[in-house]
Amino acid sequence: MFMQLLFGLSALLTLSGAIAVLVTKNIMHACIFLLASLIGIAGLYATLGADFVAVTQIMVYVGGIVILMIFAVMLTGGKDFVSRAQNLLGLAPSMGNKWTYTVGLLVSLVFLLTNVKLISSIVKSHPAKTFGNEFPSTVNQLGHLLIKDHVLAFELSSVLLLGALVGAAMIARPRKQ
Amino acid sequence: MMSLASYLIISLALFVIGLAVMLSRKSIVAILLGIELVLNAAALNFVAYSRYVTNNLDGHIFSLFIIVIAAAEAAVGLAIVIRFFQIKETIHIDEATQLRN
Amino acid sequence: MNQTVVSYLSQYEFYDHLLAFFGNNQGLLSFVIYMIFILIIVTMCATIGGLGTYAERKISADLQQRVGPNRVGPYGLLQFLADGVKMMTKEDIMPFTADKFLFYLAPLLALVGVFSTLAVLPFSSGFALADLNVGVFYLIAISSLVGVAVFLGGYASNSKWSMLGGMRGASQIISYEIPVTLSVLAITLLAGGMSFGTIVGQQKGLPFNWFIFHNPFAFLAFFVFFTGALAETNRAPFDLPEAESELVSGYHTEYTGMRFGFFALAEYIEVFVVCGVAAALFLGGSSLPFNISFDILPLQLLEFIIFMTKTLLLYYVVIWIRWTLPRLRVDQLMSICWKYLTPMAILNLVGCSIWIVVFNGKSIAELIFGGH
Repeated sequence: MFMQLLFGLSALLTLSGAIAVLVTKNIMHACIFLLASLIGIAGLYATLGADFVAVTQIMVYVGGIVILMIFAVMLTGGKDFVSRAQNLLGLAPSMGNKWTYTVGLLVSLVFLLTNVKLISSIVKSHPAKTFGNEFPSTVNQLGHLLIKDHVLAFELSSVLLLGALVGAAMIARPRKQ
Repeated sequence: MMSLASYLIISLALFVIGLAVMLSRKSIVAILLGIELVLNAAALNFVAYSRYVTNNLDGHIFSLFIIVIAAAEAAVGLAIVIRFFQIKETIHIDEATQLRN
Repeated sequence: MNQTVVSYLSQYEFYDHLLAFFGNNQGLLSFVIYMIFILIIVTMCATIGGLGTYAERKISADLQQRVGPNRVGPYGLLQFLADGVKMMTKEDIMPFTADKFLFYLAPLLALVGVFSTLAVLPFSSGFALADLNVGVFYLIAISSLVGVAVFLGGYASNSKWSMLGGMRGASQIISYEIPVTLSVLAITLLAGGMSFGTIVGQQKGLPFNWFIFHNPFAFLAFFVFFTGALAETNRAPFDLPEAESELVSGYHTEYTGMRFGFFALAEYIEVFVVCGVAAALFLGGSSLPFNISFDILPLQLLEFIIFMTKTLLLYYVVIWIRWTLPRLRVDQLMSICWKYLTPMAILNLVGCSIWIVVFNGKSIAELIFGGH
């Protein structure tokens, strides 16, 4: 019951936040709606029993990425960069006329149906399992996996982060003209 | 209500919305927002499959690495945005045409 | 796996009677118990936050040889209630050019970020709402919402003072998160787990069993953690986001009435939470100084009192520091974080892990007295 409620609310938060990112005109508001959406995804992770991933999601996104985004918005002029939406929906850009939209819609419909057909076999062979409310802790197992099976990727990701840190500092540092 | 299909539908919707954000916005920062949504849709898929299909934690590892890469991508991307703004004094994506021709 | 207050209570007899009273509806009973305990904890912490303002004014008055508030109630104890009533009845002003949505959202985000951390705070071994197995990590993660709130409050007000305060606040909070998290990581290594139950359970007994006296690196880690925590809660000497002498009042310059009250309350409760975390991680938390093989409810009360004593002593130290030290400059703040605290925190982390390998995880006291 509680898990169902958590799932429903998280899904609602995720999707409504994402849609709000799409339709809002104000880039600062878009960052905040993205924050809501990401917290909703953390809730979805929690319903899947992925406690560590959920907390990492909140930690990295809320504490890091969203603040960085807001910083970038403020350092580059704030809310003046509204999408030039002039189409019938008021949200899509001026990327084409009604023919391109029609063709795109048909292609995406076919693509969607194909994918549904492909995925439905997986979904049918794995029907909704009923899990208890008890979730085993994933922290210890994740630690073992990271250090044993995936140690190369783990170390490489640290190198990647260091490279990103130095690179970002190099790129963004103020230069004398 | 809680089944693999519902998680996949949510993930699909997130992916599509993220794609729409990436395509429809003109501001580089907003495009980065769309990229975050797309990456999160992928990570959600991994965790959902890990719970309902494979029954081990490899999917969690994948989504952790996706989060790491998203962090690195956001840092470098925003640094580029700020540098771009220093040069062009706008973050409109259509102005990024210096490499054309 | 996740110990909660419900699973703690369920080992007593009266839980079965309660369960029968609720018609054997386990979910409903858990819900009711959670709601009652949440109500207790939130009310208690809001009162502590309110009394924090009183304590701050009274202690600062003592330090500056003034009298301080003494009109409302005995010794002016009810001053915070009067302040609360004043804030609620004040006119709610919003700047004309403010971003309405974000202006309303920011104080709420600050409160949500702070109150969510109360869920894992270990008031005693049984009286913690939920002892998550990612407890410390959860606490650090969810409290970073406050940084977003400070930033948004500064941005949404559309005023230069607020903007500067918010920018400073956000950069300060995300910078000081690094040494704080690294110090916590050192303790996590020593305890072998991230849940507060594990961490506090490892420190049972006399003070030399506390993690602060476990090894020299942990001793250093406590001070790194405490300094970083002061900066993360925007307390003096790191109160640059709201520096009165330069920025009027920083990120909450434009806030009036209860919205300002939300920010102030969030700040005081966050100080309480941070002190509680420091007490639980380094100073033994709620563990009793003697070993008891049985478990009865009055012992929980004793543990609760021990925890609160340690926390409030640290709270006093925080206020004391605020009214003693002068404020830093912005560049000094950043150089302290990146040039001194972060390398020290990394040193502590490496030192702790080497200590665990070399001495097989024994503390100094165990090495001297022969250990268990």
